[in-house]
Amino acid sequence: MNWKIRRLGQAVFTVWAVVTISFAMVRLMPGNPVDYFITIVGPDLADPSQAYELAELYLNINPEEPLPVAYVDYMTSTLQGDLGQSMIYNEPVTEVLAGAIPWTLFVMSWAIFLSFAVGISLGAIMAYWEGSKVDVGLTAYATILTSIPFYVLALVMLIYLSYRWSVFPVGGRAAAELEPGFHWVYIKSVVHHAILPVLSMFVASGAASLSMRGNSIRVLGEDYLRVARLCGLSDTTIAVQYVGRNAILPMYTGLMISIGSMFGGAVVLEQIFQYRGMGWYLLNAVNQRDYPLMMGAFMMITIAVVIALLIADLTYGRIDPRAGTEDREAF
Amino acid sequence: MTMTTTDLTDRSEDVIMEVSNARVSFGMERGRARVLNDVSMDVRRGEILGVMGESGSGKSMFADALLDAVVDPGVLQGELTYYPGDGEPIDLLSLSEEERRRYRWEDVAMVFQGAMSSFNPVRKIRTHFVDTLNAHDYDVDRGLERAKDLLGDLYLDADRVLDSYPHELSGGMKQRILIALSLVLDPEMLVMDEPTAALDLLMQRSIIALIEEIQSKHDLTIVFITHDIPLVAGLADRLAVLYAFEFIELGPADDVLAEPAHPYTRALLRTTPNLETPLEEMRPIEGSSPDPVNIPSGCSYHPRCPMADDQCREVDPEPYRVDDDHIAHCHHWDEAIEEESPVAVGGDDRTPTRAYVGPDGEDAEDPLVSLDDVEVHFEQKSGGLLSRAEPETVAAVDGVDIDIHENDTVVLVGESGCGKTTLGKVAVGAQRPTGGSVSYRGQDVWDAKDMLGGVSIPFEEIRRALQIIHQDPGSSLNSHRRVRAILETPLRRWFPELDGNDRIQRILGMLEYVGISPPEDYIERYPHQLSGGEKQRITLIRSMLMDPELILADEAVSALDVSLRVEMMDLMIELQEQFDTSFLFISHNLSNARYLAEKTGGRIAVMYLGEIVEIGTVDRIINDPQHPYTQALKWATPDLDPDDEIETADSPIRTIDIPDPSNPPSGCRYHTRCAKAREVCRVETPELIEADEGPGHQRAACFRAYDDHAYWNSEPIVEGPSEE
Amino acid sequence: MTADSHDCEPGPDDGESADDDGVGGILRGDGGQVGTPFDTTADVRETRWDRYGRAIDGYIRMPLTIMRQDWRSIVGLSIVAVYLLMGTVLTWTVEPTRTGDGPQFVQPFETWEYPLGTNEMGQDLFAQTVHSTGPVLTMMASGALFTVVMGTFFGLVAGYKGGEVDTVLSSITDVFINIPGLPLVIVLSVLFEPTHPISVGILLAVAAWAGLARAIRSQVLAIRDESFVEAARMMDVPTPELLIKEILPHLMPYIMVNLVNAARTIIFSAVALYYLGVLPFADANWGVMLNQAYHAGAIYRPDATHWLVVPMVAIAGISIGLLLIAQSLDRVFNPRVRARHADTGDAEDGDGTEPGSTEMMKQV
Ligand code: SF4
Ligand code: SF4
Repeated sequence: MNWKIRRLGQAVFTVWAVVTISFAMVRLMPGNPVDYFITIVGPDLADPSQAYELAELYLNINPEEPLPVAYVDYMTSTLQGDLGQSMIYNEPVTEVLAGAIPWTLFVMSWAIFLSFAVGISLGAIMAYWEGSKVDVGLTAYATILTSIPFYVLALVMLIYLSYRWSVFPVGGRAAAELEPGFHWVYIKSVVHHAILPVLSMFVASGAASLSMRGNSIRVLGEDYLRVARLCGLSDTTIAVQYVGRNAILPMYTGLMISIGSMFGGAVVLEQIFQYRGMGWYLLNAVNQRDYPLMMGAFMMITIAVVIALLIADLTYGRIDPRAGTEDREAF
Repeated sequence: MTMTTTDLTDRSEDVIMEVSNARVSFGMERGRARVLNDVSMDVRRGEILGVMGESGSGKSMFADALLDAVVDPGVLQGELTYYPGDGEPIDLLSLSEEERRRYRWEDVAMVFQGAMSSFNPVRKIRTHFVDTLNAHDYDVDRGLERAKDLLGDLYLDADRVLDSYPHELSGGMKQRILIALSLVLDPEMLVMDEPTAALDLLMQRSIIALIEEIQSKHDLTIVFITHDIPLVAGLADRLAVLYAFEFIELGPADDVLAEPAHPYTRALLRTTPNLETPLEEMRPIEGSSPDPVNIPSGCSYHPRCPMADDQCREVDPEPYRVDDDHIAHCHHWDEAIEEESPVAVGGDDRTPTRAYVGPDGEDAEDPLVSLDDVEVHFEQKSGGLLSRAEPETVAAVDGVDIDIHENDTVVLVGESGCGKTTLGKVAVGAQRPTGGSVSYRGQDVWDAKDMLGGVSIPFEEIRRALQIIHQDPGSSLNSHRRVRAILETPLRRWFPELDGNDRIQRILGMLEYVGISPPEDYIERYPHQLSGGEKQRITLIRSMLMDPELILADEAVSALDVSLRVEMMDLMIELQEQFDTSFLFISHNLSNARYLAEKTGGRIAVMYLGEIVEIGTVDRIINDPQHPYTQALKWATPDLDPDDEIETADSPIRTIDIPDPSNPPSGCRYHTRCAKAREVCRVETPELIEADEGPGHQRAACFRAYDDHAYWNSEPIVEGPSEE
Repeated sequence: MTADSHDCEPGPDDGESADDDGVGGILRGDGGQVGTPFDTTADVRETRWDRYGRAIDGYIRMPLTIMRQDWRSIVGLSIVAVYLLMGTVLTWTVEPTRTGDGPQFVQPFETWEYPLGTNEMGQDLFAQTVHSTGPVLTMMASGALFTVVMGTFFGLVAGYKGGEVDTVLSSITDVFINIPGLPLVIVLSVLFEPTHPISVGILLAVAAWAGLARAIRSQVLAIRDESFVEAARMMDVPTPELLIKEILPHLMPYIMVNLVNAARTIIFSAVALYYLGVLPFADANWGVMLNQAYHAGAIYRPDATHWLVVPMVAIAGISIGLLLIAQSLDRVFNPRVRARHADTGDAEDGDGTEPGSTEMMKQV
């Protein structure tokens, strides 16, 4: 289908734009990393002209080249997967990050999935008993949940559940003494370590349930619901196939926006739980001014989001038959 | 009420549904609203009962009550008894939840008017049928067979339709599917609430014809609820008229139409535009329907009734027997029946029938607006890189020439999707044509806009001279602005010399002029505080304040109640005379077109799939249409004659559905539906030529207008009415 | 009764005559001295106060009346008012605190001298919280305004103009939607090291406006096709005026709600970045407090927990306040609700008999 190709083109365009923005940030902005090498690192070196080579080595940008050439070089090497050399780890950025990506994806996909599943269920419950005490109570709960930043929830849980009551580990991806591998003890430890980060993202379920509630109530007023009721369809069919499906569809947009913001939130979360994912490396790089690693992590996170959104968008057609025939807004 | 309607009707008849003293009420901020006020009615087995009422008369409530399906806050009281063909009578209001679930759809089913949104958008049509069959423990395979038969009877390609999603089908198809869905459990009675209101004339008429067939084939009792009397005139056996949430007249359709006994019914019939009634006899009904919270005491019609006396104001009229089977709730029904024109209050001076002003040819004065070979091809819109729509070209208007003169009136008629609105917008410069040219007094409109060539009339002036009145009065006024702000906008733009108080005075004057009173109250209102008719008047004033030369009125009355339509049309005609404007009306309704064109001495132009197929003066188009499509439209326009039985057999169209406009048929575009089509029509395209018989002006695009043409020797295309 | 009566007072019998010749007697030929209503002008000049009066009525009095009746806005506004008070009056009256002002780790509500307790350095947490409020509010206001202005501009222009303009603007918007906000902001703050609250706010907004632009664009697409917009075009209303007077009011509820929500987003990310130590510390603020507490090990020291809790409560509090305002703002801009508070006629409350009305922005 035509729009799928265009959607793909849009993803490619975004990646290109991100790499270009990165180049601009690394090379052109005031206080950019290249200048950093030349003005800060350079004078400390025995041979200040080495600074140029360092910049080339770490950042893939040769400051002596004219801009267009430098840009093309940068673009080519980035697209070939060469994100430069990390300064603190002295390894290629790609290698540093490769070990981190699966962990971030693991935690984030669970966080997104669970918070939406819970949010949608709660929203449906609220709509079903609209106006009742259950509804009022859950609405208040969802409103409060939405008001709390996820990192506040994370800190509170960390203080009480980990430090005070030792229910969960205080941080890390798995118990350090374990040998990684597909064995039960290790997997259990991984899950155990992931619970708090996943739960922290639960604040997103508040907003999701509120919008699910609104959508469901709107669907309840639709003509086709009236027909379905008069036709005598069973309550389950009506609840799931009529209200549920139609109320969830408009939330797709919200889901896609939260993919982006949750991945962004990973930076904070991984820092709080000392969880070595992409965000943790990004922050580490920032604190130690490891520019290549910082830019690399930024690009990787962005590309992960672009791909996630692409997949989400392309699968949308499976649940909504109207996709592709009307001008539905997509991200 | 001592005597109920039921007491008066003949009990020997086989009754399928007995309604007595049914009342629906609910609480509102302003008080308790009664939207069905103690109505009683017997529905007889095997009949088609037409229930006629304007919007706000409680007719939908009556429909809902028959299924005990009144929506929440409404409460239904009274007694409703259903007599099944076999078995015990059922008291509707004492059914258990489960019994009621079974009663609905198995015994009595319903068809709504909102077919566009009556299907779950994410499920295929088939699942709608399967779900319904399952919910009632019917055999799914046999049920689907039945569904296919029903769909076939309704001229649908059953297999294709069942495998479609709702959004892939047109409104007319969905409406027919809804009828099939309502019949899939083989109910005894079918309640149809405005089942054709949203459809085109031809589709409406075709569906009505199908309903008759289906009724006899399945032994159905049908309650057909509508606001459109002519529609049911030929269909219904008995006719009931609702006014102010009560039945005010009931009787055999022929009697009610020929000798209406209630002043309201008489007024309603008079106000309904049709093709035959002489214009002098058409009159608007004054006043408006009552508010459900404040139903007038005594006869609820007395504030509007010209014959009202003290008795009427105090005593609620009981049903009076006019005839064996004909009753009316009016104290003075006998006088009403005798009075030749009981509702005429105004004088004849309000209905000047003008003569056609000028020929549509080279010898005429310079036209005001002239369209030359206009073409509009739409590309589906796209936004950013992400829009999902596939680009597709639709030729909305294809090679149209037309001239509009000063003080001229042209009415464009056609089915939806035929391009009449697009053409209208091109004519007033609201839409840029993709081909051909539009000129205003000889100046090309879009050249003026782009400052191309020597511009003799600046675009600003053209802009001001060409105005528009939209179809939906609701959306043509900005809901966030008060009437004052809405009407000030054109004055601010075009009369900067006026200050705020001048503007207000002018607006008040105009409001008063069109009968909105007291105007000081109205200018502070938001649009949603106005009635449909008031909104439409505001839009009319808004365009009039610009002092335009030509106004496009796009279905300007179709959103209004029947009783308001004639009044609104009269107002427009009056303003046209007062201010020397030309009008380009758009209508899907031949009766309205006739009314407007005849009163102003204008022309009617019939459009089909982007082309004008016939154009001419009223009497020629209405009385002697040359083009088969115009003839079909005329066939589809119902009139008040109850003997006018409709049958699909003499339907002048071969298929009900309009071809896909993005892929119009070759040759004569009408050949896929034309009953007179011959092989040559598939390949050759007819030009719009002078139809040479008789006086008046008339041109048609059909080979039959040529005396000697290959057409006459060509083989007829023979296919039965079918789905393409 | 003449068509061009000069005084605006409805005559005593106006109501009556409406019944008699109201709808039917459309054609009032007795236009008085002037030929047609077209030529009517007024004797009395409009004063400036007339205009101001109308503006005040529409934009201040009525919203307040409506908001007064909604508990959410009362609670929300009170909460925000407390913060405003902290950011202004209290900032002047409460002395800024310095290291060693008091003993270490005084617990909250122990003494009136340090109502919220003290931290490791003996600083008064109450004073710190109060003095953080000003910068945080500034950050929030600038960021939220920037988000909304950018989002509205991009969405409005792209949606209304369509065509090429739309393609360019929408593509830019799409890119920004795809870039996850926080990482972008982190990278940008490392490069720019903004310190002034206003610049921090704007920087944070860079990642937030695009979603709003998308949403507004799709709403404009729907409104653009409404007849009243075409009518305005036909009246030759200039495009900027058309966008502002005809289209923008329909978006106002959405924009206002988003303004408030954007304010929350800005605070959330600002505090997060300060907490992570990404933004350079300029003045005290809640994020800085969190950061210091975290680094002092407040997470595992029970006697220091309040050091973390105080800023957290401060954030959650203003967030709840803003959320409640957002929820109630929705009503303020709804013309149906407004009309019920005006003195003219009563609104139809969707009684089933009313012929269909366009419920546009219902879903907002
Ligand atoms: S009862 Fe009186 S007011 Fe009512 S319709 Fe008959 S004549 Fe008119
Ligand atoms: S040209 Fe042929 S197909 Fe077309 S309208 Fe005439 S007879 Fe019918």
